[in-house]
Amino acid sequence: MNQTARIKVEGISKKYVTNLRRSMLYGIQDIAHDFFGLSARRDRLRKDEFWAVKDVSFELSPGDTLGIVGANGSGKSTLLKLLNGLIKPDTGRISIRGRTGALIEVGAGFHPLLTGRENIFVNGAILGMGRAEIKRKWDSIVEFAGIGDFLDMPVKFYSSGMYVRLGFAVAAHCEPDILLVDEVLAVGDVAFQKKCFRFIEETILGKGVILCFVSHSIYTVTRLCSKALLLDRGCIRFAGKASEVTPEYYKASRAQSMGNSSRPEPRRPDQDYAKEVRLTHVEMCDGSGNPVDSLQTGDPVEFRLYLDAVREMHFMPRPSLKITDLSGTAIVYSTTRGSDQEWMRLRKGENIVRCRFDSLNLIMGQYVLQAKLGGAGDLVQDFVREAKLFEVKGANEQYESSLGAGLVYAKNQWSLL
Amino acid sequence: MEEKTAGERIYLPVQNAGWGWAIWRELFLELYESRGLIWRLFLRDFSARYRQSILGILWALILPALGVGTFVLLNRSGVLQVGNVGVPYTVYALMGLTAWHVFGGGLPVCTGSILAGGSMVVKINFPKKALVISALGQVVFELLIRLGLLTVVMIVFRVAPSWTVVFVPMVLIPLFLFVLGLGLLLSLCNVVIRDTAGVVGVVTSFLMFLTPVVYPAGEGGLLAKISVYNPLAVLVTAFRDVALKGTLTDPAAFGWASGLSLILFLFSFRVFHIMEARIAERI
Repeated sequence: MNQTARIKVEGISKKYVTNLRRSMLYGIQDIAHDFFGLSARRDRLRKDEFWAVKDVSFELSPGDTLGIVGANGSGKSTLLKLLNGLIKPDTGRISIRGRTGALIEVGAGFHPLLTGRENIFVNGAILGMGRAEIKRKWDSIVEFAGIGDFLDMPVKFYSSGMYVRLGFAVAAHCEPDILLVDEVLAVGDVAFQKKCFRFIEETILGKGVILCFVSHSIYTVTRLCSKALLLDRGCIRFAGKASEVTPEYYKASRAQSMGNSSRPEPRRPDQDYAKEVRLTHVEMCDGSGNPVDSLQTGDPVEFRLYLDAVREMHFMPRPSLKITDLSGTAIVYSTTRGSDQEWMRLRKGENIVRCRFDSLNLIMGQYVLQAKLGGAGDLVQDFVREAKLFEVKGANEQYESSLGAGLVYAKNQWSLL
Repeated sequence: MEEKTAGERIYLPVQNAGWGWAIWRELFLELYESRGLIWRLFLRDFSARYRQSILGILWALILPALGVGTFVLLNRSGVLQVGNVGVPYTVYALMGLTAWHVFGGGLPVCTGSILAGGSMVVKINFPKKALVISALGQVVFELLIRLGLLTVVMIVFRVAPSWTVVFVPMVLIPLFLFVLGLGLLLSLCNVVIRDTAGVVGVVTSFLMFLTPVVYPAGEGGLLAKISVYNPLAVLVTAFRDVALKGTLTDPAAFGWASGLSLILFLFSFRVFHIMEARIAERI
């Protein structure tokens, strides 16, 4: 492995054109400028142009793995194309040392009428591997692809999974110093995905290859990468350790910031609610009723739902709450039991309903509370998807063993029998 | 654009490396290193071309036969009169058409070659010149078939070639350079302006009639005057001369036509190199 491999990106930007005719016009203009060596004012936006990537800088050395995340259209693929040398930046400078391999277009150059066997040579040639090199690595490539007899069939008969397996098998044998990967691993069955990850972990990370990994899966990025870059509409929102990017990622994808008793975002599903009772806000309190905005594993916690009723009501719509993690996986769900009649009376105006957990055993992390009034037989009065965001920060000594993997802590004891 | 300093690649917004020796060396080095890729791309297209067809490789024979047949028919029925050209008209026409095919078949495929590359042009970084050059590979193959056909026809009509026929490859080289030169530039145009390929196809068909391919260049008249300045006319005529006559009708003309082809090729090769980065954006 090339120990002097390096990527250095300084203040690069890239703009694209939205209008087709203008794209043609600007294309001709740019070509003329290139040809005559005129330096056009590239740091300005012409009409119908927008910045796909704006002012990005970072540096990577052997052993670094960078995860690039962001919403659709945030400039991730463009950044990768810039690193790959496919397009030129409009401002700034990119300096790359070492052989670059790319898992961007799997199966580049494949011709549908040729067999898998023949296409391996084509794809290899496009990726920079000569005939001799392919022959040398032939057995390894075929074994990695694992498509068996399909190798001698025309590629047009392949399923998309087989296609990706073959393409990936060839690309995986490039032996680059720098590897650029762009969301190709989304296709393929579970076995294949596992194989890809194992390949990346062993071959790439094991050898200190610089990895730039574009993904929508925050989980993958935190697992594979040491550094992370969060892009939002072309600009860097966050650049730092991969383990710290998750909250930033979710923060960036919602409008509000975390608070103590925050106003619920008006994200109610499109249904006609009776709206006789409204959820105005949610408060999180500790065991003694004091409002807090974070807690520890195992702490007692109360969630207070503040309701506003239009009139006095004898039958309160059943309240329920659901606690999910940042990606929406439900962890805790609770609702009142059918027999709880004695307090199901609402005054006109403000009412407070409390749900108390003697010991909420969530592990360290960030969570979202979802609150609903009514439903399952009753008319749904109100439903707020993100009533409250809160954080569980660590655990008191009793629950220290909850630190680590998992979603919840289950009380347990160890002993030798 | 790339500058290589001890294995380091630098990408800048504006990289005009000028017209000095360094950039030419880099250009030809890249060309040399891509020879495997060019061959592989040609092999790919060639293998696939005839795979799902019944007539298969016979097409390479049928098309020129049809072409010559048409013109011979026109000649025999008196529509196309060329006077005495020294050899049976069939041989004459076939010779002209064979040489013309380098241009008439080569230019349209070269023009469309980048777009035909599909998604890999947008996603993978590889020398795109290889796409244009490998498109010519098919033309080389078809040329060889036509030369074979020509040999057979000459034997049938008992026309002996002059000893200078060994120089035929040399005479064809300027023609290839000319086609490649134009092809590289036009393939770029086609990326931005999609109707270029169509226009090129139409224009080359007409050009065949305006160039002395199936008839000799006359002495007087407008067409004759134009043909003096038409490098294609010069090169096609040169092919015929070298194969049959033994001497060039107009060595000076051949000289400037070859020179022009070489300059055109070098120029567009260089220009293509500068523009290559824009292709991926504008496709």
